[in-house]
Amino acid sequence: MRTGVIGLILPPTFSFLEMMWRICPALAVGCTVVALVPPASPTPLLLAQLAGELGSFPGILNVISGPASLGPILASQPAIQKVAFCGALEEGRVLRRSLAGECVELGLALGMESLLLLTDTADVDSAVEGVVDAAWSDRGPGGLRLLIQESVWDEFMRRLQERMQRLRSGPGLDGAVDMGTRGAAACDLAQRFVHEAQSQGAQVFQAGDVPPKRPFYPPTLVSNLPPASPCAQAEVPWPVVVASPFRTAKEALAMANGTPRGGSASVWSERLGQALELGYGLRMGTVWINAHGLRDPSVPTGGCKESGCSWHGGPDGLYEYLRPSGTPTRVSCLSKNMNYDTFGLAVPPTLPAGPEIGPSPAPPYGLFVGGRFQAPGARSSRPIQDASGNLHGYVAEGGAKDIRGAVEAAHQAAPGWAGQSPGARAGLLWALAAALERRKSTLASRLERQGVELKAAEAEVELSARRLRAWGAQAQAQGHTLQVSGLRGPVLRLREPLGVLAVVCPDEWPLLAFVSLLAPALACGNTVVMVPSAACPLLALEVCQDMATLFPAGLANVVTGDQDHLTRCLALHQDVQALWYFGSAQ
Amino acid sequence: MSARSRGTELDLSWISKIQVNHPAVLRRAEQIQARRTVKKEWQAAWLLKAVTFIDLTTLSGDDTSSNIQRLCYKAKYPIREDLLKALNMHDKGITTAAVCVYPARVCDAVQALKAAGCSIPVASVATGFPAGQTHLKTRLEEIRLAVEDGATEIDVVINRSLVLTGQWEGSDFIKTSTGKETVNATFPVAIVMLRAIRDFFWKTGNKIGFKPAGGIRSAKDSLAWLSLVKEELGDEWLKPELFRIGASTLLSDIERQIYHHVTGRYAAYHDLPMS
Repeated sequence: MRTGVIGLILPPTFSFLEMMWRICPALAVGCTVVALVPPASPTPLLLAQLAGELGSFPGILNVISGPASLGPILASQPAIQKVAFCGALEEGRVLRRSLAGECVELGLALGMESLLLLTDTADVDSAVEGVVDAAWSDRGPGGLRLLIQESVWDEFMRRLQERMQRLRSGPGLDGAVDMGTRGAAACDLAQRFVHEAQSQGAQVFQAGDVPPKRPFYPPTLVSNLPPASPCAQAEVPWPVVVASPFRTAKEALAMANGTPRGGSASVWSERLGQALELGYGLRMGTVWINAHGLRDPSVPTGGCKESGCSWHGGPDGLYEYLRPSGTPTRVSCLSKNMNYDTFGLAVPPTLPAGPEIGPSPAPPYGLFVGGRFQAPGARSSRPIQDASGNLHGYVAEGGAKDIRGAVEAAHQAAPGWAGQSPGARAGLLWALAAALERRKSTLASRLERQGVELKAAEAEVELSARRLRAWGAQAQAQGHTLQVSGLRGPVLRLREPLGVLAVVCPDEWPLLAFVSLLAPALACGNTVVMVPSAACPLLALEVCQDMATLFPAGLANVVTGDQDHLTRCLALHQDVQALWYFGSAQ
Repeated sequence: MSARSRGTELDLSWISKIQVNHPAVLRRAEQIQARRTVKKEWQAAWLLKAVTFIDLTTLSGDDTSSNIQRLCYKAKYPIREDLLKALNMHDKGITTAAVCVYPARVCDAVQALKAAGCSIPVASVATGFPAGQTHLKTRLEEIRLAVEDGATEIDVVINRSLVLTGQWEGSDFIKTSTGKETVNATFPVAIVMLRAIRDFFWKTGNKIGFKPAGGIRSAKDSLAWLSLVKEELGDEWLKPELFRIGASTLLSDIERQIYHHVTGRYAAYHDLPMS
């Protein structure tokens, strides 16, 4: 089902092609678009005029020309269902914060830097051409980082510098030039970067036939930039290229994955095995092998990590503008007095339970982290009450340190689990389903104490087991696809697990929700840190007893405690790849 | 020709380290043809420059002294006099770089050029052109006889069986092919050859020349070749001592383009002198 009205926000240095790639799928699926463009470019306005002349559907494409500060205002308009933002990191963050709780989908495509990895078994001349194409032609969107193997460093530098001397820069419509200009703002940005790099000890090489007037900046090559310097962490502006050497393929991967940017990269190597290995190892949205910057409208392009999470092109790009039918339209669920600084900071003290009535409860549960039950860092427990107000049991009070431990354990288990074949994953989920069935009576009785009727309790347990099995079967279904496109060469679309998922479960359906959220995450190859339902985490902990024997350590970790506090810890933890939250409006 | 290359020791490890990224080379070839288009008076200038690189060639079975004579005259006066006058280039001595004929016709060519008062070199194909499958003794004799007759350049056909078994010879120029194959001078092949020439120059300081031959018929193509050499090797190689184009009908196409530039009209075939 189509999404509705899309708001599109474009950065000051976007290219017409990029804009079309975002507008066209939206229009094709049936959405209407409102685009905010910087005032310096008249072409989108022209496009909107043409769209308006189409007659029967005026208003499918609307363009507002204004400063970037209008972005949040556009995004907060009540009629907009989805905002697609491309631009700089900071602005993206601001937008996301301002849209929190508004129930608006946000697609981010941030940063325009890409990476080129050159090994010693590559055709260096062709790689030089690739660099020129990526960095200094009008097709490349942003700056470029080069990782060159040490043994070909001298050769590569020499060829690149020679090639740079033959570049010509000038007004874009002059047919004899290689590169134009992106405006005075981009020129300033590049200049600042180069000055900073020089002051940090880098060598700067500039060449080419460039007019000395201000908006034209010469092609620039920066080398010997110390890796720990701030420039090495910042995004590389156009038309700067930063080159660094590496010794082995392993080091190359570490360096490439060690930046928060995850947009696009290319690997140059004539040895197939090495090229593929590096390609798989890079954590980037798009990886080209022995080419750079090849784009085709039917191939999805996007990023990971800080480069945003939206895709355009291909079927994935179309799905961006669709949502499953039946999803409610936008409903603001932001509570008005949300204070980010104090939310969940302090754990409200739990009153000690009244005098214990009835049979003495079991000893308090620990946290299920790393495959076994552990005592919480704070060494305290909270009581859990059942439907009649009696004490049901004690569970541990988890805190920030416990979250940290759980995430670490999940990360340790992640590579092994992702590497498992889908069949193995399915097998584990089915084993857990069988274990749940064996425990049916215990689980049902616990549910009863929580006030659920016996029949309903049993049904819940059965449904949980069924869901586990269903997701186990699903694990087999997803995989990699090979796509044939207009590009010369095959396109491989890999569906990779995200990594560590944090899940905060709702209060209702304590068992079913827990299992339903656990299963899909595990089926796709992720590891999880779960915060079970606050009212009755005991059921989740029962399941953990089974998981302790069945699952590899660290695969699923359960931390109990104050839900708000734990949510805060999880949200602030920067190594959690995704967070599913079902809970209060805050 | 300028100072001969001194040559180096054959080092096969240079060859084994070479990698060629075929799709990227193909992309670069497309790019060269599409991007560097030259127009108007600059195009006329480039075309005249291209003329000075042509090895005007006739290699047919029915060559006789009369058509050789016509060829040599055309080599001396490649563009019609009035067109050159209109471009103010009539006194710059624009001739083709050389005349290329079969060994049996070298004598005729030398005589015709002397009669025309022209000092351009005569190049001869030799060594069992075009297949190269003759005895070494006869091949060497061919070269000797051609040089005796007055040829100052020899287009040698290498023995491909030696190549395929890894036994190499050296030279001053490398040529894309004899021009008599099904596929001759294409841009991707040329790109790889030019990069090899550049490599060799960087490693040894010797400049080796380059000659594409076969299939270059249009003026537009010749401009693409010129810009390819300029981009990959630089202006130093844009001299007749280091760059030649082996062609025969190319000259008439260039002449027609220049006619169009000067007069604004397209010439018919009979308007321009035959070669």
